[in-house]
Amino acid sequence: MSKKGTSSFILQRASAVVLAPLSIWFLFEIVSALTADYAAARAWLSAPLNAALLGGFFIIGALHMRIGLAEIIVDYVHSWAKDVLLFINWLAALGLIAVAGWSIYTISFAG
Amino acid sequence: MADGAASKRPLSPHLQIWRFTVTLAASITHRGTGVVLYGGLLLMALWVIGLALSPELFAVVSAIIHSPLGFILIVGFVWSLLFHLMNGLRHLYWDYGRGFAMKTATMTAWLVYIAATLATALIIWAGYGGGA
Ligand code: HEM
Repeated sequence: MSKKGTSSFILQRASAVVLAPLSIWFLFEIVSALTADYAAARAWLSAPLNAALLGGFFIIGALHMRIGLAEIIVDYVHSWAKDVLLFINWLAALGLIAVAGWSIYTISFAG
Repeated sequence: MADGAASKRPLSPHLQIWRFTVTLAASITHRGTGVVLYGGLLLMALWVIGLALSPELFAVVSAIIHSPLGFILIVGFVWSLLFHLMNGLRHLYWDYGRGFAMKTATMTAWLVYIAATLATALIIWAGYGGGA
């Protein structure tokens, strides 16, 4: 747990509850993803519902995975490296949101 | 531990003398799959960047997905997501204060391993073979 223990705990559970149905949707989608070519995949992601659900999966997933990995880092790393790893963990989550958000936005509005 | 065999006092848990239990395994696997999914989400971001930036970049990512390595990654990711999802529901049920009885916990742990494996096989079969 990070220092803000209680709010992390609650956010971890709340994000898990949202991720559960999103993951089931996602697992169905991945079947078609395996076979999709560029045009088909872009057409798919241009649909507002798909864009919204995939964006939600990335954003909620980023929140959830950041808290989860922070907990693991705090469990195993006790040296100065801990703060470095926690910082990289933040960057990875924010980067994921930024990159996925930008890509989905671009595709949705560029058609 | 000077004299472990003769001691009548209860011993504290020790890594090397822990008996295998499926509930212990499930809890380690939950952590492991959490880390796998972390990497998986980052890889997926690559897929979307490729899709956003250019057909050429997408073709590279697509080639990886269709390579043998990509197949292994996808099977691993799908299994991890299914396991973590189902086992996560166990965790949420515990947080709600239920399901702690040893028999129940053991049963649900086996169930998660079996169900995740069967569902993975089904999804991969549908994706690579039968379905598409
Ligand atoms: C999309 C990808 C996901 C990623 C990257 C992810 C990642 C993680 C990580 C790294 C942890 C920390 C593990 C630990 O501390 O041992 C964790 C914990 C957890 N995850 Fe996920 N997870 C994902 C999806 C889900 C889903 C769909 C659920 C649905 C139920 C879920 C439920 C949980 C729960 C309840 C915990 C806390 C377990 C505990 O109390 O120790 N996760 N997750």
